Amino acid sequence: MEDFVKELPVWVLWVAKVAIIFGGLVATAALMSLAERKVSAWMQYRHGPNRVGPFGLLQPLADGIKFIFKEELIPAGANKFLFRLAPALAAIPAMMTIAVIPIGTIQIGETKIPFSIAQVDLGIMYMLALGGLSVYGAILGGWASNSKYSLLGGLRASAQMISYELTLILSILVVVALSGSLDLGAIVEAQRVNGLWNVFTPFGALAFVLFTIASFAETNRHPFDFAECEPELVGGFHTEYSAMRFALFFLGEYCAMTVMACLNTTLFFGGPSVPFWANAPWYVGILAFLIKAGFFLFLFIWVRWTLPRFRFDQLMRLGWKVALPIALANLLVVGAWVAFSTKGS
Amino acid sequence: MVVVQRKELTLAERLYLPEVLRGLSLTFRKFFEKPITRQYPEQPLPTDEVTRGQPRLVVKDDGNIACVSCGMCEIACPAYAITIDGGETDRMIEREPKKFEIDMLRCILCGFCEEACPKDAIFMSNELELADYTRAGLVYDIEKLKRPKSALQKRIDYVYRLNNRWRSKQ
Repeated sequence: MEDFVKELPVWVLWVAKVAIIFGGLVATAALMSLAERKVSAWMQYRHGPNRVGPFGLLQPLADGIKFIFKEELIPAGANKFLFRLAPALAAIPAMMTIAVIPIGTIQIGETKIPFSIAQVDLGIMYMLALGGLSVYGAILGGWASNSKYSLLGGLRASAQMISYELTLILSILVVVALSGSLDLGAIVEAQRVNGLWNVFTPFGALAFVLFTIASFAETNRHPFDFAECEPELVGGFHTEYSAMRFALFFLGEYCAMTVMACLNTTLFFGGPSVPFWANAPWYVGILAFLIKAGFFLFLFIWVRWTLPRFRFDQLMRLGWKVALPIALANLLVVGAWVAFSTKGS
Repeated sequence: MVVVQRKELTLAERLYLPEVLRGLSLTFRKFFEKPITRQYPEQPLPTDEVTRGQPRLVVKDDGNIACVSCGMCEIACPAYAITIDGGETDRMIEREPKKFEIDMLRCILCGFCEEACPKDAIFMSNELELADYTRAGLVYDIEKLKRPKSALQKRIDYVYRLNNRWRSKQ
């Protein structure tokens, strides 16, 4: 088995990893649409979808088939090219960011294969650069629809994403300063070597809270879902969309949530490392990663069905006057601590 | 004029995060509670003798329907849902309906036919579900309306009880 894996051409491993990780991401996104409805139902004394397949597990499939066969409408006066482009712009960057997440290490015999599509030295920069692109999906979708509700939704979404991106980046920088690397694999390794997840350090804990808040805002999730905001804006930037293009926006949102959950796990919860078991087998590591990421995915849903939506000025006040100064101060203190601590060489 | 005094928020409430945690703990506790939804087609609604469902014709124990096609229910019906064509029969009662139709799309389930019937031939059953693919399919003829007396017995007893109470007050 080991010799067989060693003799495989490199591209076979690449294709296999891309297929597994990308397929897993899309499957997770599809299952999240079911999980969202199930969890919300259970929190409201309901059963949730349970007609399609056992426990309604085939519901995403049924929804997908329905979306594909529905009629697609493009409003008159819409910019057709941008209207068709926007859903792809919303979905693709969100899916691409999964590439650098270190999910763990596959070990066959003595051969170790890193279980991530790419091991990039500037992994965090890659994630942030692609994450920044997801604004285009919202703003172009809103603008190209030629509808005032869509435009308002798109504007709000972009304002919100840009505002909270600052907090997001600053809280990631805290982790980068603590670990001394922009490589996500190195960040995980530093946490494993120290035996201390970043969330249990004082600066890391604060950064974790800020990162979690900002990740909710970045993915347009409750309580910051101003891009949709049903009572005011009908459906926000995707009001005019129908059929599979509408579904692509949702796929993008759920993929972005999944990636954010993975990133949260990687940055603050030691990725695939298992507490009190430094030499855990590789499959336990991957399982630990999936459990941690699953918890954060659950948190996304859990918060959505608990909190009411903020008002837009409250959102901006929280972003610019509370979260950003705290994140800045946190980074300043961490920077000083790293610079003056004796371990720095 | 009512002046609403807004409560000053405490520091913990203004920080918001402790309140978020409180809310999350509440929803998490509710997460494990039993759903109260009735799974309708598998768990039908409970019915009672008081349930005034769709009207049905009583089939007596000898296998004949009790109706003598007197037309009282047809006249009593406020929605003109009942259509009766009477005919002769060799039985002692001499008359029976050749056609007895209730247009279930017109029927308003008021129960006037049950009250009007002098022969205890039509009663409100506990059947509530009404669906079909065509309008014609919802015009019920005699065969669709026939129910054995035993199936309607609870309702028949109830109506008798009600009527007796009313009579005793006179």
